[in-house]
Amino acid sequence: MKPTPVSSINTVAKRLVGRGNLVITRKSVRDSLVSVAALIGCQVQDPNGKSIGKLVDIVVRHGEETYPPVSGLIVKVANRKSFINGARISKLTQKEITLSSTRINLENYQRRPGESLLDADVLDHQIVDVDGLQVVRSSDLYLAPLDKEIRVVGVDISFVSFLRRLFPGSIARRPTPEHVLDWAMVASLTDSTGVVRTSSSKSALSQLRPADIADLIEDLAGHEQGALIEMLDPDLAADALEEMEDDELESLLRGLPAERSAQLLARMEPDESAEVLRDLDEEHRESILSAMEKGIAKQLRVLVSFDEDLAGGIMTTHLLIVKETDTVASALKLLVENKERDSSDGVVVVDAKGQLIDHIQTVELIAAKSTSIVLDLVAKPFPTSVQIDTPIAEVVEEFSNNRGSSIIVVDEKNKPIGRILSDDLVDALSRSSSRGFSKGSGVLS
Amino acid sequence: MVTTRKIRLAAFLAVMGPGVIAGLADDDPAGITTYSQLGTQFGYRMLWTLVIATAALIIFQDLGSRIGVVTRQGLIGLVRQKYGARAGSFSAISLILANLGTMTAEFAGVAAAGQLFGISRYITVPITGLVISYLVLRGTFKKAERVFFVLSAVFLAYIIAGFMAHPNWGSALKGMVTPSMPLNHQAINIATATLGTTLAPWGLAFIQSYAVDKRLTREDLKLLRADVWVGSLLTGVIGFFVVITCAATLNKEHIFSITDASQAAVALKPLAGTLAKDIFAIGIIGAALLAASILPLSTAYSVSDLTGSPAALDDNFQEAPLFYSTFAAITIIGGGLIMIPGVSLIWILISSQILNAILLLPLLSYMYGIAKDKKLMGEFVSKRPSLTVYGSVIALVAICVIAQFWFLFRK
Repeated sequence: MKPTPVSSINTVAKRLVGRGNLVITRKSVRDSLVSVAALIGCQVQDPNGKSIGKLVDIVVRHGEETYPPVSGLIVKVANRKSFINGARISKLTQKEITLSSTRINLENYQRRPGESLLDADVLDHQIVDVDGLQVVRSSDLYLAPLDKEIRVVGVDISFVSFLRRLFPGSIARRPTPEHVLDWAMVASLTDSTGVVRTSSSKSALSQLRPADIADLIEDLAGHEQGALIEMLDPDLAADALEEMEDDELESLLRGLPAERSAQLLARMEPDESAEVLRDLDEEHRESILSAMEKGIAKQLRVLVSFDEDLAGGIMTTHLLIVKETDTVASALKLLVENKERDSSDGVVVVDAKGQLIDHIQTVELIAAKSTSIVLDLVAKPFPTSVQIDTPIAEVVEEFSNNRGSSIIVVDEKNKPIGRILSDDLVDALSRSSSRGFSKGSGVLS
Repeated sequence: MVTTRKIRLAAFLAVMGPGVIAGLADDDPAGITTYSQLGTQFGYRMLWTLVIATAALIIFQDLGSRIGVVTRQGLIGLVRQKYGARAGSFSAISLILANLGTMTAEFAGVAAAGQLFGISRYITVPITGLVISYLVLRGTFKKAERVFFVLSAVFLAYIIAGFMAHPNWGSALKGMVTPSMPLNHQAINIATATLGTTLAPWGLAFIQSYAVDKRLTREDLKLLRADVWVGSLLTGVIGFFVVITCAATLNKEHIFSITDASQAAVALKPLAGTLAKDIFAIGIIGAALLAASILPLSTAYSVSDLTGSPAALDDNFQEAPLFYSTFAAITIIGGGLIMIPGVSLIWILISSQILNAILLLPLLSYMYGIAKDKKLMGEFVSKRPSLTVYGSVIALVAICVIAQFWFLFRK
């Protein structure tokens, strides 16, 4: 539906492991692929070749391994669905499934955490093709022996394989590996327990740009969005969330547990988090804020209370403040300590009363003697500042007058409380001017 | 908090949302002909079938929009996921056949309207096919859609005509609330066609794909549902006035069957006098073009939904061969059928809607299954009372279809 950026196609796989390490490209694996769609409904036999029942589903175990091993079979024996442990499979090929002993324990299958059923949960369901950056439907799944176990190694997404399954008998049973994605390159999200974390795709997902992940998230339904987010490193997830459309994000948070929302929002830029929180209804907002670390929650509460058309509503509260009497060394230390979070360059200097004096660039600090105090570096040009309740239109004017990349926001006592970066302003303006109803590809009117 | 986007969305949905478009496109040539026939043949007596059909339309369009918003998947894709490859293909084929029938009916409408002005169908039908393909594929579709929309709104004239024809309101009310019908093939035919044209399969797939394609969120759902209700009621209200207008004019004058479009146009005489024919033709052409421009697109979207990669107009032919092939096939076959010499347009208009009703059965049943699936629908899962209502509608369609076959094979 969306045009995929050409540059990013196929690059993830190369960056991640190199094509050669994906097992689907190994000849030994390709030659021994077993189609899951064709297996379902086959007879399962004991060592004497006597049929004991029909295969209903295949259970796989997700864990730290890239290619999940088969942990058991669900077989219909005398009209009852029974579970047969994977250890009892002696042979599994396209033509036959043979168990290792004539005596089998027929247990009722209870889904365990981390397991999924290939036919019920994965086949014909949507999966994320991490390499091609799109949501696709699986037409078939392929098993192959690998590292002493039978594992899921690939997903077939071709239409030909889908059509093949419509035919009766032998045509349906012949694998057609037309367009197979390596299992390491997909994220399978649909499962009824919500606990399957295909760790294989975690590393592949971590190679994507936040904006691409945001697009993928927006393509999915509620519970799948949640599953995808669970697979992401929280920092990456927070970055991706910042890239999402406001109303999409609002809708997503509605579906996540408050603790998870709190964790993600705390990692986002404060102004971005505040903007989302402002749009939520009060009850939901409070449940998220109360699940958050106190300090961050307090800061966000303040930001949320500002009108989004005023300077306070678009500022970020992340400021590095030093006193005029502090040494250059301690200012630099503060910068290093906050290098992860702070995207602004430099520190804000205040006097004994906490009032704004100047903004000093990191370069100036590095050039200065480390034992000198920051007051010695205070000089023209002094930074531009605006009040919390300055309308955005005036902030724009200040920006264009001063040609700076940021403006400091102060309270009524001239104490610095936040900063507006030029990109915050761009966000705010684009939001207020051109947010029309222009989603989708426009295919249906 | 109300954002700018929401206000615009609300404004958009209120005026020309998918529900209203589907509602107006539902009063396409097949719809108008079926309703005209209902009123002409049976007077006010079978108005109740329209009431039930409209209620069923509201209920299932509402369900379709909910499924689309919650699952973010099209109907056909969902059927494949839940019921497997064969069921998915079966539902796709049902939808394609139903849409092909309706597409043929749209061409029949244009042909009939053309004949009112003495223009041969061998001229009007190919031109219509070309114009629609050009507009849709060249991306000027949106502007064109507005024009069709306004043209089809001409059918609001039936509301005025209905009042001017001085219908017997008492009989109309009685016909709406007392289910009675002669037990013959003709009555069953028209009852089935009324269900099939009102609760059209394409509309169900369309509303769901619309929600998916526009990525409407749960917050937008209220607006979408309001739009769907308005649109569905509009279908019913226009249908009601078509029926009573025909009942008060044609039926009263002892014309008991419509055999061509010029007869149906007579119903507008109390309002438009000698212009009746022209107004009727304009309305028919507008509604036909509106529906005919959405139908192939909606079908192509559903078919590509089956494959798992929803395609759209911003893909080229190499990227989405199936999408464009479906589009072309629906348009060419639909138009081609009308070009068969001697084919009766009225017969096509009505029987395509009976086909709709038959193919509704699997599609409605799949929707029923999806509606009660907790895993797919989450908090929006349907509970017993709503499921009973959905089930009753399906049972009703099934009864009509069975009766239809019974009369057909008894001969």
